[in-house]
Amino acid sequence: MDKYEWLLFLHMSGAFLLVGGIVVAWTFGIAAVRRELPSEIALLMRLTGAAAAAIGIGMITTLVFGLWLVSYLDFYKWTDGWILAALIMWLVAGPLGGAGGKRDKETRLLAQRLAAEGDTPSAELRARVRDPIALSLNVASSLLALAILVLMIWKPGAGG
Amino acid sequence: MIAALRLDSWDFPLFVHVLGAMALFGGVGAILLLSLAGQRMPEQAVFARRTAFVTLLAVVWPAYVVMRVGAQWIFDKEDLDPDMPTWISTGIVVGDGGALVLIALTVLGWLALRRKPSVARYFAGLAGVYLVALVVAWWAMTAKPGA
Repeated sequence: MDKYEWLLFLHMSGAFLLVGGIVVAWTFGIAAVRRELPSEIALLMRLTGAAAAAIGIGMITTLVFGLWLVSYLDFYKWTDGWILAALIMWLVAGPLGGAGGKRDKETRLLAQRLAAEGDTPSAELRARVRDPIALSLNVASSLLALAILVLMIWKPGAGG
Repeated sequence: MIAALRLDSWDFPLFVHVLGAMALFGGVGAILLLSLAGQRMPEQAVFARRTAFVTLLAVVWPAYVVMRVGAQWIFDKEDLDPDMPTWISTGIVVGDGGALVLIALTVLGWLALRRKPSVARYFAGLAGVYLVALVVAWWAMTAKPGA
């Protein structure tokens, strides 16, 4: 394997961790909305933490090796529109996902406390797992990640 | 380099294939996490097994179909020599073999849920092995050894 192949593999590995992590987070998030027992919601929200770690590692890895690829390849430039657009979306998606994740963490802590205090269904927890603000933040960051993937494949204006 | 020089007509099939593969990776990761959690927390084992099985049916299988359809679409567009490159062979082995693995996971998941809970450890083990196979496949698909 030459340097280009290594860089592309590591860049793609970051993308797999990022999008795969988003799929895991949504899977557990949707499952949590359908549950009532705090202990079950707490388990799902705790496992979502592993997805959040994968998303974070994926975001950093895609950026580092993506920028390395651009500097290594002559036919792409930092100023290419699709690269700039992807970087802007990356910069916006991170804080949005982070804010959504912070609210999800508060929901997990509430679920864990309720599970320890008798594990009975709670209207407050039910409302928290359906939090429209967290949902909006997570939807927005996920759509931005999807848009970045679209840009990476179509590369509009790259002439490839 | 190949990705940079590929034909425009490949973009949508490639998007379908890559998105399906990433969702498949995430879905298998989710069922592995749930299976391991079920093993470590016996009081949550039934819930974890049930959620893993539902995830297998609702996320993993659809993602596999999307990935495989995208792969076949690209394959049909390519003008391949009779001697297939190693990286495509690897992808085909993991891709087509994946159907057998998912059938086995479906049977094991159902058995663990309905008949024999002890089977859950084989479900977790097979999900882990398949996750590693998917990593090998994406390495072969991106690094393209022998291309």
